[in-house]
Amino acid sequence: MTRNGSLRVVLQLTVFAIVMFVFISPASAIPAFARKYSLRCTACHESWPVLNDFGRNFRDNGYQLRLGKDDTVTADPGYWPVAVHITPQYLYTKATNQATDQGVKDIGSGGVADASIDLLMAGVLTQNISFLVVPTGFASDGNVHLESYWAYFSRVFKNSDWLNIRVGQHEVDLPASGHRGISLTDSYLLYSYHPAVPGGNNLSAYDMGENQQGVEFLGHDKASLTRYSVSVFSAKDSLGSQNGLSSPSVYGHFQKYFRFKDGPVSEAEIGAWGVVANYPTEFLTSGGAPIPGSGSKLQATTRYGVEANVWIGPTVAPLHLDFVYGHGSDKKELLMGADRDGTWNGAFVEAIWVPPTDLLHWGIFGRYDIIRNQNQPLSTAPSNYNDQNQWTLGARYTIAYSIRDEVALHGEISSDKVKGIGVGGLDQRVDNIMLGVDFTY
Amino acid sequence: MFYRVAQWFPVLAGLLLAAGSATAANTGNAGNGKLVYQRYCISCHGAQGNGQGEAAEYMSIKPRDYRQGTFKWRSTPSGSLPLDIDLEHTLLNGLYGTYMPTWQALDERSRLDVIAYIKTFSPRFATEKPQAAIVIPPDPGYSDQSVARGEAVYKKYNCSQCHGAGGQGDGPSAHELKDDWGNALVPYDLTKGHVKCGDKPTDIYRVFMTGLAGTPMPTFADSMSSADAWDLVHFIQSLSPGYAKNMAGAVAGQTGGVQ
Repeated sequence: MTRNGSLRVVLQLTVFAIVMFVFISPASAIPAFARKYSLRCTACHESWPVLNDFGRNFRDNGYQLRLGKDDTVTADPGYWPVAVHITPQYLYTKATNQATDQGVKDIGSGGVADASIDLLMAGVLTQNISFLVVPTGFASDGNVHLESYWAYFSRVFKNSDWLNIRVGQHEVDLPASGHRGISLTDSYLLYSYHPAVPGGNNLSAYDMGENQQGVEFLGHDKASLTRYSVSVFSAKDSLGSQNGLSSPSVYGHFQKYFRFKDGPVSEAEIGAWGVVANYPTEFLTSGGAPIPGSGSKLQATTRYGVEANVWIGPTVAPLHLDFVYGHGSDKKELLMGADRDGTWNGAFVEAIWVPPTDLLHWGIFGRYDIIRNQNQPLSTAPSNYNDQNQWTLGARYTIAYSIRDEVALHGEISSDKVKGIGVGGLDQRVDNIMLGVDFTY
Repeated sequence: MFYRVAQWFPVLAGLLLAAGSATAANTGNAGNGKLVYQRYCISCHGAQGNGQGEAAEYMSIKPRDYRQGTFKWRSTPSGSLPLDIDLEHTLLNGLYGTYMPTWQALDERSRLDVIAYIKTFSPRFATEKPQAAIVIPPDPGYSDQSVARGEAVYKKYNCSQCHGAGGQGDGPSAHELKDDWGNALVPYDLTKGHVKCGDKPTDIYRVFMTGLAGTPMPTFADSMSSADAWDLVHFIQSLSPGYAKNMAGAVAGQTGGVQ
């Protein structure tokens, strides 16, 4: 094996490990709220960590129940707004058609994965001002970063729920939360996908699922059945930019829920969303490295789409189907070597079933993600280059939950296939088998 | 592609709106209600409905024991079972100052289901029918004169014995009160601007006439005139500016049912 070949394999595995780390770390449920309000996790989570109607309304209300026991003075003195979440797990991965010095090989490895923890700190500072701070990391690499940090001002105009303002690093109001996804091995492709030129780099790293630094304006009706959200932010991870809206971006989302008193469908939802994230394409450098704040000639990464959710059976133990479709476009200036804008379509269908068993211990889920390029940014590239298909199947069994903690067994398998990105245009596939103990307290 | 997918959404929205207008029976399914109860209620009210869930021990105001069929918020006379709509009122509004949240985010089907299940804890619901809701006469209107008369009513009925001369819940008997299950109770501080069973004038009036079952708060239905009761409502409203926003909510001719 040559040195370059070894380096390439190490780099590929490192990137894979980082991606897995990112996917696994940020899922969040906050048992501090369970302790504060004496409610079990099931009150807010359809199947952890996916929020149900009550949880969504609680979140929209700034983590307040508004019964005179919300803020730090009126809450029970024993309440401490900190919770911990971690998932020790066995993870086996197999990556096909990897380039090695011995030729194209499949590489598989397994073991107890390096785990990180989330410190979930959230609560109400004073009436109608709440907060969330989430340091995450603490794995063997020693890195810690702030996943989220924001203050939320509720009912800022005439005591109305129709204008609330969140300031800080926050997750935009996605059709299905990237940080509350039930899968622990695969993220939503639709959120992170970018078209690519073979062998080229992208200047836009925009990922809808990643938290962004900015301001969110959110409004909702009393039960959060009609909602809107607009986030204005500076897109993270752009070369030559820094905070202060040097990568000005805006995301919007609207949802409408419908409830049915009769029939097999108890609830449904439709919505629309869209984002324009701008990234510099030119910037000054120092020693070859981009100088923060010197970026110019912004170009857009655009995503927009529609969504629909259906809950079959009682909402407390439903079969929940979630369909999200989106169209994406990256300007050719953002794609090194491109001769035209890259456009694509993507979608996912996710199903979560909570069997109506005693105490609702089970959550069974599956998802299928698909990405299809429409216009390859390099017109001579194969039309299906970088197309993706991903599926996930899993189950979660809550061993015990209380008003103080939750512990669950979580297992899943998943597979992600990407067309034509391997040596000689081979497809590549990454398969995962994961079994973990997920607990939070 | 996007437009081909998106063009179906108005059609889907129309279908959903049409389906949403369908009528339904106003009775719940106790089987599904058990699941609702296990998801939301069990941590306080307990698996047996006896108010001894895992959280109960740490609560200063104990969760209600459903087995006796006694409920604080009722539109029905003292001693009667509540109407289903009374239980739904509590689900929708919560009980201010306690751990009972507002469950307004739950869908109606879930609310009716859990009400059906809660009623299975007490045999009374199988053998008794709730009485009709009391009738609440129109609010004659808030005035300084009414407040002054209400203060006299407050003294006449010795409300200060529990609630204190200033309504702060610090009367001479405040530390001796217990509920029907022997748990210590603190009289409500009426100066907070919120009342546990609802802030509307009709909510306050209703408490005088129905009492709060299971607590030392009696009914005055047999001894207090409606005029005195309205004056007393206005006196309580005068104890905190927090009530002011609710005064405009007084609607003439409301009955004891849910408004």
